[in-house]
Amino acid sequence: MDKIIEKHSMIGKRVTKLDAPDKAVARTRYINDMVLPRMLYGKILRTDRVHARILSIDTSAAEALPGVQAVITAKDTPGGKIGVLRDNPPLKGDVVRCIRDEIAAVAAETEELCDEAIRLIKVEYEDLPTVFDCTSALANGAPIIHEDRPDNIAMEQNFEHGDMAEGEAQSDFVVEGAYNVHYVTHCNMGVSCTVADYDTDGRVTIYTQTQYPFNVKMDIAPSLGVHPGDVRIIQPPVGGAFGSKLDVYPYEPICVFLAKKTRRPVKLIYSREEEFIASPTRQPVEFKIRAGMKKDGTLTFRDCDSLLNNGGYTSWGATTPYVTMRTMTSHYTVPNVRYRARAVYTNNPFAGSFRGYGNVQATWALETHMDKMAEKIGMDPIAFRLKNANPPNQITPQGSNLGCIDLVGCIEQAAAKSDFLAKWHANNKAWAEPGRFKRGIGIATSLHNAGGAKIHKSDGCGTMLKMDDYARVTIITGGSEIGQGLDTVLAQLVAEELGVPMRDITIINNDSALRPWDVGVHASRTTYIAGNSAVRVARKARDQILRAAAAHTNMLPDMLDLRQGHVVQAETGLALMPLDRILRQMHFAGAEAELVMATDYYEPPSEPEDANHMGDMSAAYSHAAHVAEIVVDTRLGTIKVEKIWSAQDVGRVINPVGLEGQIEGGIAMGLGYGLSEELKIVEGKVLNPSFRDYHVMTAPEMPELDLTFIETGDAEGPAGAKGIAELPTIVIAPAIGNALYNATGVRIDHPPLTPEKVARAIAAHKGLLG
Amino acid sequence: MLPQNKCPPEIEDYVSAQSLAEAVAAMADGQGSALAGGSDLWAQKDSGNGRMRKRLVNINRVPDLRGVSEAGGVIRLGALTTMTELLESTLLRDKVPVLAKTADRFASSQIRNVATIGGNIANASPAGDAVLPLIGLDAQVELVSKRGKRSLPLDSFFRGPGKTVMEADELIAAVEFATPPKGFHGVFCKSGPRPALEISVVAMCLTGILKGGKLTGPRLVFGAVGPTPMRCVKTEALIDGKALDDALIAEALAIMATEIAPIDDFRASKWYRTQMAQTFLEAELNACR
Repeated sequence: MDKIIEKHSMIGKRVTKLDAPDKAVARTRYINDMVLPRMLYGKILRTDRVHARILSIDTSAAEALPGVQAVITAKDTPGGKIGVLRDNPPLKGDVVRCIRDEIAAVAAETEELCDEAIRLIKVEYEDLPTVFDCTSALANGAPIIHEDRPDNIAMEQNFEHGDMAEGEAQSDFVVEGAYNVHYVTHCNMGVSCTVADYDTDGRVTIYTQTQYPFNVKMDIAPSLGVHPGDVRIIQPPVGGAFGSKLDVYPYEPICVFLAKKTRRPVKLIYSREEEFIASPTRQPVEFKIRAGMKKDGTLTFRDCDSLLNNGGYTSWGATTPYVTMRTMTSHYTVPNVRYRARAVYTNNPFAGSFRGYGNVQATWALETHMDKMAEKIGMDPIAFRLKNANPPNQITPQGSNLGCIDLVGCIEQAAAKSDFLAKWHANNKAWAEPGRFKRGIGIATSLHNAGGAKIHKSDGCGTMLKMDDYARVTIITGGSEIGQGLDTVLAQLVAEELGVPMRDITIINNDSALRPWDVGVHASRTTYIAGNSAVRVARKARDQILRAAAAHTNMLPDMLDLRQGHVVQAETGLALMPLDRILRQMHFAGAEAELVMATDYYEPPSEPEDANHMGDMSAAYSHAAHVAEIVVDTRLGTIKVEKIWSAQDVGRVINPVGLEGQIEGGIAMGLGYGLSEELKIVEGKVLNPSFRDYHVMTAPEMPELDLTFIETGDAEGPAGAKGIAELPTIVIAPAIGNALYNATGVRIDHPPLTPEKVARAIAAHKGLLG
Repeated sequence: MLPQNKCPPEIEDYVSAQSLAEAVAAMADGQGSALAGGSDLWAQKDSGNGRMRKRLVNINRVPDLRGVSEAGGVIRLGALTTMTELLESTLLRDKVPVLAKTADRFASSQIRNVATIGGNIANASPAGDAVLPLIGLDAQVELVSKRGKRSLPLDSFFRGPGKTVMEADELIAAVEFATPPKGFHGVFCKSGPRPALEISVVAMCLTGILKGGKLTGPRLVFGAVGPTPMRCVKTEALIDGKALDDALIAEALAIMATEIAPIDDFRASKWYRTQMAQTFLEAELNACR
């Protein structure tokens, strides 16, 4: 009997993450579990000074310890410096500039021997004058952190659009505010770890957690004194990255030098304390915002000046203004805008990239400020935001086309589902009423890139595909999996094109010697860019198969389709032959033989910013709105988040399970930023390097979540999807700050809203503080 | 902070005691550190902040140190009783629910599974949660050594952070307290930046016989507001058996604030610790009315 196979789409189906079962049963072998034959362990001696000249380093006792195979200092690492401005030598030989600075490293047979050897190294210092805050570091006569930057300014960005004086003249009201956002860290469950191995011909293989493999080859090679082509990067499964592994950090070249010196594989792994002290943080920023509006609420101008505490060295933190700038210039319609950011060297730890990339900070400041502006002219927070919401296809001051966005829809859905206005008005009226517990509701929204960010000459991704005689598919992608769900999305997209089950698809994504180039996991780009490349390569394979099948069936290729492992007649669904059979017929065809193999390199239609920060940097943009409803204990200052409503423009839902996971995880991270997480750094030293005193959110604190996916259907995105991973982290904190105000009439401009800070602010508001 | 800055203590000798006699013998020269759950000891060892002596004496296999029992109107908790056992014991849930409630707020389930009552007492942290309700129950701590056995009130056991009246050769065998009578009321409060898995910024235990809106024989004990768990005896005397009206509660809050001695540190300020203590006490006294 003839078999009819209906069209069956994978897009939008609930699919379990491919890596989840192995992770759930502890079968995944993370990089931290890796052991190679003859492997040594490495350990770094770090300074306990924040700014000092190194007078001498005595490693003799460590070298004499049996079982120690190498002790290295700066003189053993003659290569170049690392970091975004190439200002960070892997091992410091002359001056230490912050608490984490690397002085020496050892390789030994066991980790315990490493610890013992490290304790035997003697360092003499001469302390230098210190500076810890931006304003002091900019002052005349401030200690100079790097000789070649006597003004202590690591990076500066400026942008201006429109006519600020005209904007000022048109304003009926001007609101000013200052917002200082704090240090937080990624808290990856898998601590930093790398394994390095040299071959006999001077080529090095680095097993690492990087989310930026091809740039790592380029960035690490000069510090090692090797050719980038001789560096092979392998990425075993990682326990989280969240942006922290976007740069090369000193421990990586140090591990390679230890491997080179000992001619054995070396594994270097952090302790948890080291992870807190020696990992990059989220960039702390001091914002000043001045913004004007007309009587009817129309925004007239916005001026933002910001100082970034750069710490001792420059990693990606100093570049976060590129993203902050977009929020400050382009979130809501503002005709006249000015933005300035200066990253200032100090003796603090330095910041790197972190999910949200400058937009978590920017959105805290801007959305707190927007609530103040709404109050100033007596509009409710919803009406004020809707009044100024960006319309679809708007060209921003920086020249981006926002395309198919739906900020209005995000705001309206979040407000309607939460019954925002009724609750907001009722809470406002209850400020003066007695009672220890107060209820509040708040909203915040944000704009983020949703189709990559062309910060390099290319924002592309390559993919290779092969099919075997059993119709099993192998996808070799440039994209990296750091837990975000790349494998699952690619398998779904390819299964859709080739009509094969997802379990018949193998994804190879972790070896720079196999994979085509990709720019790495950042900028919410992977589903969009790697996904598009996977769709394109699958279509090439599909065309090749259908051409062959057409020849076998005396039909035209466009009359055929691939469904459920069969070639079928497209119109009727009539099964013509199993897919594996046509693949074998193609393969074993004598002189006509062909294998199904295809390649693709997808370059999104975005453009790099020019020197004036003009350019449509991302292939897509999107918004999210979060509403938070909270109960504040006005005595203890604790904030219980009862429910969060999220409405996010996701383009198109590919896998609801992955989307929910990203949004829930992002909200947990954003809640920590807003409520409890803070790396306490005083005079350059980290006071709370442990999970006991650094408070990430745990399961009991998670509120009920109501998630709305708004499907705008991006014309360029794979199946219409947009990148979604960063927005959920970005939006929630200011929604809670705004809810606190709605509950109590007390505004806190500087996160996190810890119980003591809230209790103090409320007591001060009531005149109860002396 | 980092391993290179501090040297973890060297363990020269390890004894796994199979009986109380073996444990006492291993401690006899004052060179032993008792290992029970290890949730404090091990963390301190690894951070280099430990007060470990050179011989590690594992007491986990000593049957005499285990068990929750009641005899002759006295409840006895063996030193090895874990927080999970406090939480799950039907005897305690029935007769001393404040202990179960305290255990429920103690760290995380993984830590509760190993952390012991003896360890929480011996560690002498000013923020040790489990000692507060035990002081509220007038518990006696029983110490053993080769010199014999002695019991003393838990209330007078602590001398400062990490310091107790225990001699180097002594082990905690158990804590004992009278089975609470009818009408016994006991509450435990704590708060921190998050509700779960939190070291106490301030913790409070209030006990007494509650009848007709009056608390008789009250015990008011605070954690993390001084160098040791702090009992507020003047406040106790003020409210003892009296009707808890607004004026009395206000007076109690003021007196209590003079009895505690909180400090400023990076976890909380003195002002906030006082505010928390007063908030807890006010709420719990009002709840007694």
